[in-house]
Amino acid sequence: MSAGVGVDLENLWIRFGDFVAVRDANVNIKGGDFFSFLGPSGCGKTTILRAVSGFLEPSEGNILIGGKNMKGVGPNKRPTALIFQNLALFPLMKVWENIAFSMEIKGASAGERRKRADELLEMIALEGQGDKLPSELSGGQRQRVAIARALCAEPHVLLLDEPLSALDLKLRQHMRTELREIQKRVGITFIYITHDQGEALTMSDSIAVMRAGVIDQIGDGKTIYNDPATPFAASFVGENNVFRGKVKQVSGDRVLVQSNRSGELLARVSTANVGKMKEGDSAMIFIRPEAFELARTGTEGDHYVSARVVNEEFEGNVFNIFMEGDGGKEIKVSLPNHGQSFDSHKGETMTLRYDVRNAVAMPAGVLATE
Amino acid sequence: MPRFLKDFLNRNGTGPGLVMLGLVLFWTVGLIILPQLSMLDFSFRPNLPPPEMGGPKDVYTLENYKYLVYGPEGGSQAYNAVDLMVFFRTLVAAVCVTVFNLVLCYPIAYYLGQTKGNHIRVLALMLIIPYWINEILRAFALRIIFGETGVLNTILTGAGLFDTPFDFIRNDYALYAGLGYAYILLMIFPIYNVIESLDHNQIEAARDLGAPWWRIHWRVVIPYAKPGISSGCTMVFMLSAGALAAPQILGGPSSLWFTQLIYQQFNDSSDWPQGAAYAVVLLVTCVLLVLGAMRLFKVNMGDIGK
Amino acid sequence: MNTSLIRVSVWIYLAIFFAYLLGPLVIMSATAFNSPAFPSATPWECLTFDWFSALFQDARILNGIKNSLIIGAGTVVLSVLMGLAGALLLTQIWPKLRATYYTIIIAPILIPGVVLGISTLVFWDRVNRMLGLGPDSALSSGLFLTVIGQSTFIASYCMLVLVARLQRYDVALTEAALDLGATHAQAFRKVLLPFMRPAIASSAVLAFLASFENYNTTTFTFGEYPTLTIELAQKVRYGISPAISSLAFIIVVLTVFAALANEALIRRRELVAAARRKATVAELTGGLKLPGFLSGNTAAVLLVVMGIGTVVVLGTAATYRPDQCIADVREQKRLEAEKRAEELRARRDAERKEKSTAEPAAPAPSTGAGNNSGSFGNVFNPGTLQDGATTPAPDAQGSTGSGGNSGFGGVFDPNALQGSGN
Repeated sequence: MSAGVGVDLENLWIRFGDFVAVRDANVNIKGGDFFSFLGPSGCGKTTILRAVSGFLEPSEGNILIGGKNMKGVGPNKRPTALIFQNLALFPLMKVWENIAFSMEIKGASAGERRKRADELLEMIALEGQGDKLPSELSGGQRQRVAIARALCAEPHVLLLDEPLSALDLKLRQHMRTELREIQKRVGITFIYITHDQGEALTMSDSIAVMRAGVIDQIGDGKTIYNDPATPFAASFVGENNVFRGKVKQVSGDRVLVQSNRSGELLARVSTANVGKMKEGDSAMIFIRPEAFELARTGTEGDHYVSARVVNEEFEGNVFNIFMEGDGGKEIKVSLPNHGQSFDSHKGETMTLRYDVRNAVAMPAGVLATE
Repeated sequence: MPRFLKDFLNRNGTGPGLVMLGLVLFWTVGLIILPQLSMLDFSFRPNLPPPEMGGPKDVYTLENYKYLVYGPEGGSQAYNAVDLMVFFRTLVAAVCVTVFNLVLCYPIAYYLGQTKGNHIRVLALMLIIPYWINEILRAFALRIIFGETGVLNTILTGAGLFDTPFDFIRNDYALYAGLGYAYILLMIFPIYNVIESLDHNQIEAARDLGAPWWRIHWRVVIPYAKPGISSGCTMVFMLSAGALAAPQILGGPSSLWFTQLIYQQFNDSSDWPQGAAYAVVLLVTCVLLVLGAMRLFKVNMGDIGK
Repeated sequence: MNTSLIRVSVWIYLAIFFAYLLGPLVIMSATAFNSPAFPSATPWECLTFDWFSALFQDARILNGIKNSLIIGAGTVVLSVLMGLAGALLLTQIWPKLRATYYTIIIAPILIPGVVLGISTLVFWDRVNRMLGLGPDSALSSGLFLTVIGQSTFIASYCMLVLVARLQRYDVALTEAALDLGATHAQAFRKVLLPFMRPAIASSAVLAFLASFENYNTTTFTFGEYPTLTIELAQKVRYGISPAISSLAFIIVVLTVFAALANEALIRRRELVAAARRKATVAELTGGLKLPGFLSGNTAAVLLVVMGIGTVVVLGTAATYRPDQCIADVREQKRLEAEKRAEELRARRDAERKEKSTAEPAAPAPSTGAGNNSGSFGNVFNPGTLQDGATTPAPDAQGSTGSGGNSGFGGVFDPNALQGSGN
């Protein structure tokens, strides 16, 4: 297998007429990484992928693969292979012919092709299925054939465009692990496009969060989740409770915010925004549902919010408790299931304690609206 | 446009893209647009022997069009009554054939489109087979039937309905039957295609609401099938008005079709510009009639040909 | 009660409709086997295969078939290529131009064939003159003009068929091929073309049939190369013969054969697909067995029946000699004719007597008698039968059927019958 090479986007702009699909993207993807672009549909992530694979000429800026500028290089000349959203398996070719298509192009003999296809079929655990047509396989099997077909071309970079979106939940979760394993085995760079934060977090070495053509944040999964750079990243990746207010006091990476409805809250300024917040600015504080600790009133710690239990929702591994703070402020709290019940607390006002490290503050901005 | 061209060549590759563009240009410009313009241009010129073409006598003139209306110069009549009669009769007869076909085919198309079962395939096959038999042979078959000593007359006289054979050909019945026969499929298929996509539940719902069958058709099926109906009618009208084989074979000796006049000008009188002028008149009139009908029935151009 | 009434009327309507549609073809086919020289199914005289041999000895028909095949091949190639290019362009043309472009490429279907023929003739004649070429250049050849003229509108038919398939094509397939290293040409050849193959095949068949049966356009452009349709039209216009019926019969049989074969093939493909879906890997590699191919396939059964029927008919044709029957009919007709001549003579004698005895009477009864014998009119002279069997039909028709087919009245006179008969 070929070694993975790095991919760099330098000041990349892509426009369609007046519409800006990608705005000044700068990304360095290390060779051999599993890199994800995460964002809602229409944010421009697929456009980036098509530009990397060569189906689109960028309006401005450069794409470097393995340090080489790809300007003017057609898709068939790039060391990339793309897994299409709908897989785009050739419907009239048998499975093995699909897999070995890239060799057929190069003029390899049928025997060679068959041999290589069988090897790859073994790798994706589809031994002996080579003579079927793609339409005769199940969704998950087709998925793996598409990967095998792309790998057969021995690309240095594998591009995946939401390849799991058509699968059902169980299969999707299974394929996540499988994809990650394949990537580790072949060692090439994977660039993965998804709107599913679960996929991005579980598989990626590194994630770029995109919104409306702009890359908001790049970092590993833990950073993105625990230390979001923008309100959009904070609200798009995972669930979050947002408290809006004005900065009252800043000291180092701590900030005291006078929230609109929940009183004064102390929070940690997210790493990307240290030094960017000053008194009087509009601010947002994000506290994740699982960062709260539910306690009886009167046992407040330093940092807390008071709210009334409105409803509970049992999800199996967690309880989601929907609460209402002052002025109707909705707050969601998630607690691990220990076999307890909160039914008896309905209507009761309780205290939500949090650790300042888990309350992230940043200048106010656009949220992801689902 | 260059941007479009560049994208196009990018998307299809330079070689295949250029071949594609070349073929399309040859077809649209070389085979469709230029010949039509050329015919139009030709129809405004006098009939000259080839050496004099492009010479001083080759000037634009309305002579050929005047001829259709006023007849030969110094003629005995004020108007070219014969040709004008033929022209209007052709148009009226083509409209009649179209209406006849629509009435005949709508029930069949509806039945085929809304019925499930294996026999539908067989019926469709039986519909298609006659269509692939040569147009001349189909007219010939009707001539055998409608001839003075043909099957129909033998049966009718044998049954005692007529005591003398009826001349179907001289009375143009054979011609109308032949024109109707020739284009049945072109009426059925567009209507069938649309009606097939009509959700049967809509009809059930209408029936459920107590609508009588004719109202279901009037309010539900026909409005839905309008694109197909207009497409079928347009094709049948244009083809009937432009038919040549059926009138030549099935037409009576005294009744000409307008296309036969054009044919005569080209083959018998060798007056090409005159023939071209008649062809232009036929084409323009037919197109205007179709466009007028489409406006009247509120149909879009894009629906035709679906 | 109401629904069963509707059902019955639907079936009656269907029956009438298909009788109108298929009846003429059946009757025409039947006339190919009846011995009278004017194609007729009633009265049935003798089963004969002579019209087929008459057909195959007709040099003009054979030449027409040859020309039709050449022109058909040219038209298929040109129309499918232009139709495919037109369809591909339609799916990716600039949206603003799309409507105009579609109108242009769909227009030839609606333009009368006569107009297309004329415009082709006029335009290429002009091109020919502008290039300074003579009247016998390739550009003014009937072959070239006919292929060009026919392709103008047949390409539109092909385009419609191809666009229908192309709309179901996923552009991602081409992109996937490019992404895997294929050139544009390779992607076209290995991915798009195989996908389009069924539609290309059907558009090619459509183009060939449309070319083969075209009359309106070809009649202006054929020049020195009359196609089969042109020859047929000439024959049909100037006198008809059962030899044409025999050709029609062959075409009908071929068409039905092709249609059934196509049906059987489609059905077979469905069965194969169904079997593959159920098959195990071992069966896939070892080849499939198709149980019940015939039992589940009406078209295939009909095809087999038709094949057997053809063999039987050919066998009969090779051994059957209708001469005796024809001779019998001739003898019978001669007797009838003599009898009628006798009657007529008798009547004339009677008239003459009446004339001589009384004042002149109106001749009305005699015309009435002539009309009554009208149903025998087609039974005219056995001599023509032999002529028709050996020489091209239209000439024989033209010379004997004085005044065309509507003028058989002239043959009613028994004296004329005898005169030209023996």
